[in-house]
Amino acid sequence: MSGMESDPVLALSDFSLRFAPGKNLVDGVGFEVRAGETLCIVGESGCGKSVTALALMGLLPVPPADIVSGTALFEGRDLFRLSEAELSDLRGNRISMIFQEPMTSLNPAFTVGDQLTETVRRHRRLPAAEASAVALDMLKKVRIPAPEKRMTDYPHQMSGGMRQRVMIAMALANAPKLLIADEPTTALDVTIQAQILQLIAQLQEETGTAVIMITHDLGVVAEVADHVAVMYAGHVVEAGPVEAIFDDPQHPYTIGLMGAMPSLGRRSGKLATIRGTVPPIERMPDACRFMPRCPFAQNKCAEAVPPLAPVGDGVHRAACWYAPLEKHFAEVA
Amino acid sequence: MAQLILRRLLVAIPTIIIVSMLVFSLQKLLPGDPVLVMAGEERDPQVIEFLREKYHLNDPLPVQYGYWVAHVLQGDFGISLRTDTPVTTLVAQKLPVTIQLAIMAMIVAVVIGVPTGILSAVRKGTLVDYGANVVALSGLSIPNFWLGILLIFLVSVKLGWLPASGYVPPGEDLWLSIKTMLMPSFVLGTALAATLMRHTRSAMIGVLRSDYIRTARAKGLRQGKVVYKHALRNALVPIVTLLTLLFGELLGGAVLTEQIFTIPGFGKLVVDAVFTRDYAVVQGIVLCTAIGFIAMNLLADVLYILINPRLRGA
Repeated sequence: MSGMESDPVLALSDFSLRFAPGKNLVDGVGFEVRAGETLCIVGESGCGKSVTALALMGLLPVPPADIVSGTALFEGRDLFRLSEAELSDLRGNRISMIFQEPMTSLNPAFTVGDQLTETVRRHRRLPAAEASAVALDMLKKVRIPAPEKRMTDYPHQMSGGMRQRVMIAMALANAPKLLIADEPTTALDVTIQAQILQLIAQLQEETGTAVIMITHDLGVVAEVADHVAVMYAGHVVEAGPVEAIFDDPQHPYTIGLMGAMPSLGRRSGKLATIRGTVPPIERMPDACRFMPRCPFAQNKCAEAVPPLAPVGDGVHRAACWYAPLEKHFAEVA
Repeated sequence: MAQLILRRLLVAIPTIIIVSMLVFSLQKLLPGDPVLVMAGEERDPQVIEFLREKYHLNDPLPVQYGYWVAHVLQGDFGISLRTDTPVTTLVAQKLPVTIQLAIMAMIVAVVIGVPTGILSAVRKGTLVDYGANVVALSGLSIPNFWLGILLIFLVSVKLGWLPASGYVPPGEDLWLSIKTMLMPSFVLGTALAATLMRHTRSAMIGVLRSDYIRTARAKGLRQGKVVYKHALRNALVPIVTLLTLLFGELLGGAVLTEQIFTIPGFGKLVVDAVFTRDYAVVQGIVLCTAIGFIAMNLLADVLYILINPRLRGA
């Protein structure tokens, strides 16, 4: 964790987005990420984490997507106010993204070298030979065996893990300040997962790139995160340093998530689950969105959206009227 | 690569043999007896017998087929019973006309169909898309003969810009040849352009949704590069398939269009031959068309390999 005093690389605040008139799919989301730091955004599918990432990249088609509010400050500019041309100059250059599906994320019609070189030349005025040398260098950096040969290979000649390495090489080819990784290991074997995470961490250490890692896997969070933002149904319900989130979760949803995580070793009782399901967007309460599933819900929870407020030291924040729970429910227990 | 093409060629051989058998036997199945037509009014049994012997019509079918194939392999498709000229000569006269018409019509179709298809896919759901679709639908629903007559009336009769009909070989006067073929190829081409536009659109829409297009955008590539390099290359396979099929179809002749513009192509030849039971001519043309089709399929296979590197290892 490089000091809290440094300016954030990206500061997202009050970000709301919807796909149809009505309730916001993503509602008032904000987070910050600093150089060299990894922020994990955790949540189940549909909670709005991937959509948020795509919106930051300017990759969401608008319409149908409708950015209702929000600012995303990056290098002094608001990403949501940039033109498509300005955004495309940033993409693959200052901000990069890698995706969940390495098998389909590379163009099957072009060689790996061609696709890598293309990224380099798009953002740097380099002669073809030099750009190609940069590309080869990147393949070496992501530790692909026989990189010279791989340059002329097509994606279908590579495994999923190798393709994800190529994606990482492509994303980091222009030394971005921010890397957004949207579930980069979900589609990979467990052993490959660990290698990819390690690779990202190592390259991040060398370059000081800020990383936003989107995942639903708490194992990944434990391994790579400096900070965590837990999302539920379009809200950030809890945020803070990774130790605080794991050791002292304050939001009932986070507590539920921790309980639902299988662990190695001695098992004590059944794996806990969170009862119920996420309501469809049109039936989402205008208050705490977790309220219908929350075992601790009180009358107040149905009245208004709880703010993401500091608990304890102030860095750790939770969006629950009754956080910290042990204080409020001491008499009940 | 060369090995692959060779393999495809080998596969094409049995296809050609089967087609030749069909071509040969189909005419035997047709009602009517050409010998009776040739023998004239008197129907002298001796003349009939002589003719049957001469054309090996008394031999068993496989033997007749053998004779026929032996001749065909020497470039001899027999003599047109109607015009008394060798079928090879007839085909050699009409084939270049049909090929020129087919090529020019394909150019028209590609120039109109592919860009509008791409545009309408990129602008899916906008006015541009709807507009292109309306134009395509009208292109499909306007009959060739009507558009042809309309064009002759407007462009030739009223404006006098282009010749109304006829055919000039490109060897004689290339510019005039292109000018005379312009309207017929436009008539044929626009109808194909509509089909081509629809297929290009759906292929492009499918490709534009794929993950690697998102990657291309995430790399910061500009729209033009995303669409024309990354997407179009992958949408080409169905487009090429359709193009080769359409071209093969055009090689069979375009009866109506040829009729309207009085072009001496395959279409008219085959219709005349069928109506007069000029079997040798029908056989020759059908076989030529079939071989043309097979050649186009072969071309499509080769193009697939060029477009899609995944097929190269196979």
